Amino acid sequence: MMQTLRIKRFNILDRSFHFFLILTFLTQTATGFSRLFFPTVWGKNLTAVFGGYDTSILIHKWVGILMIFGFIFHTFYLLTRIDFHNLWASLFGPDSLIPTIRDAKHLWQRILWFFGIGSRPEIGRWAYWEKFDYWAVYWGMPLLAITGVMLMYPVIASRYVPGWTLNIAVLLHRAEAILAVSYIFIVHFFVGHLRPSSFPMNEAMFAGSIPMEELEEEKPVWFKQLKAEGKFETVKVNPPSLLYKIIYFIFGYAALGVGVYLLINGIINSRYISLH
Amino acid sequence: MRNMIDINRTPIWIISFALLAVLLDPARSYGQGEEVTSYINRYKQNEVSTGYYEEYEMRPANERPFVKNFHRIARKSFPYSSTAASIRNRSLLADSHRGIKFYNNRRCEECHIKETKDIHTTRANLTCRQCHGPEPIASIDHYYSPLNPIRRHAYVCAKCHQGAGASFAGYVIHEPPAGSSTAKADFPALYYSYWFMMALLAGTLAFFIPHTILTGVREMFKRKKG
Ligand code: HEC
Ligand code: HEC
Ligand code: HEC
Repeated sequence: MMQTLRIKRFNILDRSFHFFLILTFLTQTATGFSRLFFPTVWGKNLTAVFGGYDTSILIHKWVGILMIFGFIFHTFYLLTRIDFHNLWASLFGPDSLIPTIRDAKHLWQRILWFFGIGSRPEIGRWAYWEKFDYWAVYWGMPLLAITGVMLMYPVIASRYVPGWTLNIAVLLHRAEAILAVSYIFIVHFFVGHLRPSSFPMNEAMFAGSIPMEELEEEKPVWFKQLKAEGKFETVKVNPPSLLYKIIYFIFGYAALGVGVYLLINGIINSRYISLH
Repeated sequence: MRNMIDINRTPIWIISFALLAVLLDPARSYGQGEEVTSYINRYKQNEVSTGYYEEYEMRPANERPFVKNFHRIARKSFPYSSTAASIRNRSLLADSHRGIKFYNNRRCEECHIKETKDIHTTRANLTCRQCHGPEPIASIDHYYSPLNPIRRHAYVCAKCHQGAGASFAGYVIHEPPAGSSTAKADFPALYYSYWFMMALLAGTLAFFIPHTILTGVREMFKRKKG
């Protein structure tokens, strides 16, 4: 009985953004790495997958533009989530993604808990590492977009900024890409798949909902909040169908495989390339 | 009749051996098909241009306030001959290799190792002469040098980058390794952005990898108890 009770966590738009990001991010990683690692044999083979050195940058540029539009669209969506009549509560309330002093406290409690001191922090709707995940992508995208557009049109860009900033742009673009790739393919994948409580796969972002027990266990504060507000009835949803489940499992593991493949080969070949 | 043929063959043998000797002569054969320091090589590449750039020549200006003159560093290197050593400032010569012994028929990479690490050489597969021009290779700051900052954009960069301007030519082609002390002295912006990003990368991973692993370990124990 209780097992079928599921609580909605991500609406269809959230999930579409995530899906869109998976596809574009993997494409950008593969085409970007194929260029970055071009001096190595592996990089050359990878460019061949995309039709060569020139075509792989072409794909990289178009998908990059797509990502910029996605980012702008997402920002508008984000603005609609803010309740402007109740700005303070909406920005720093329990449903907000903005880091607060509570998150620092949770972090400290959690570190103590790792070593068996004290109990687990009572986490609300968004845990601090989930907030970090979100904002890491959110600040990384504009950085990559600005430096990327500069490198796409270096001659035009140099009319507005001095030419030596292009050297910096190359460096920042590569360093930020490597940062994002290693964070996503190590930490995010671990949290989503390997963590005992989410193994073999955390389905929340694909199914859109989580079972009641998981909610009570993982997000006790949100659970209490929903209960207090009497919202359980409105956020109850049906479990995902088996077919959909099979599809997203295959998709999730395919994405995982591509990411891990790129990460491992990138690490192996990292000593043959430089960041600038 | 037979004798006649034998006599006629002799010059063929002589010519073949002479040809072989020439081919095996290291001084001639060394750079065949490669970019060497002779003057006919890649002359055509030097002439091709998009023909579009901002100004033809511009007044000397400081386009790179935060970047020092890189090419002056090169002066510290080993002088290749006594004549070469007597020339103090190689940045202002019409022929930057004047007096350098054993210059002919060698590849640029042999003497200028640092300058082979740039994006144009390693990735775009440009040859040095596509920017530095035919023999004699002028020093960067020689007044009529194509790479002199007053006309570099028009004479060199605009060959491939249509519409290049003086600011674009301020891009540092042979940039120093981003994390090195050379970069700290000559291109601080590059140096500090490099170490900023490195610190961010190392900090993020050094925090979150143990964090996730400990989470995993801890949750495993919790499971066992429950
Ligand atoms: C894309 C054009 C381009 C290519 C290709 C290129 N150079 Fe340069 N080179 C320059 C410019 C521009 C400068 C002036 C550097 C400055 O003012 O910062 C320079 C400077 C130099 C200097 C002076 C010292 C220094 O480091 O600034 C040397 C030596 C040199 N280049 C050698 C080479 C060699 C050898 C190659 C081939 C491997 C090569 N260059 C390829 C554009 C190029
Ligand atoms: C025999 C070694 C040797 C070879 C080969 C050689 N160079 Fe040089 N080059 C030198 C030396 C030595 C200097 C003087 C700078 C110094 O003192 O380090 C110099 C100076 C230069 C400069 C002027 C640097 C300035 O300060 O303005 C340029 C440009 C340059 N070389 C480009 C080239 C290119 C391009 C090639 C290949 C076609 C080449 N060199 C081949 C030894 C060599
Ligand atoms: C012979 C042709 C040629 C010349 C001359 C040339 N470039 Fe380039 N340049 C290229 C090519 C090709 C690329 C693309 C490299 C790549 O995609 O990896 C490039 C890329 C660049 C980039 C972008 C770097 C990046 O990582 O995307 C800059 C900036 C640049 N060149 C500056 C210059 C400047 C400044 C000069 C003049 C000193 C110059 N180039 C001269 C061919 C040239």
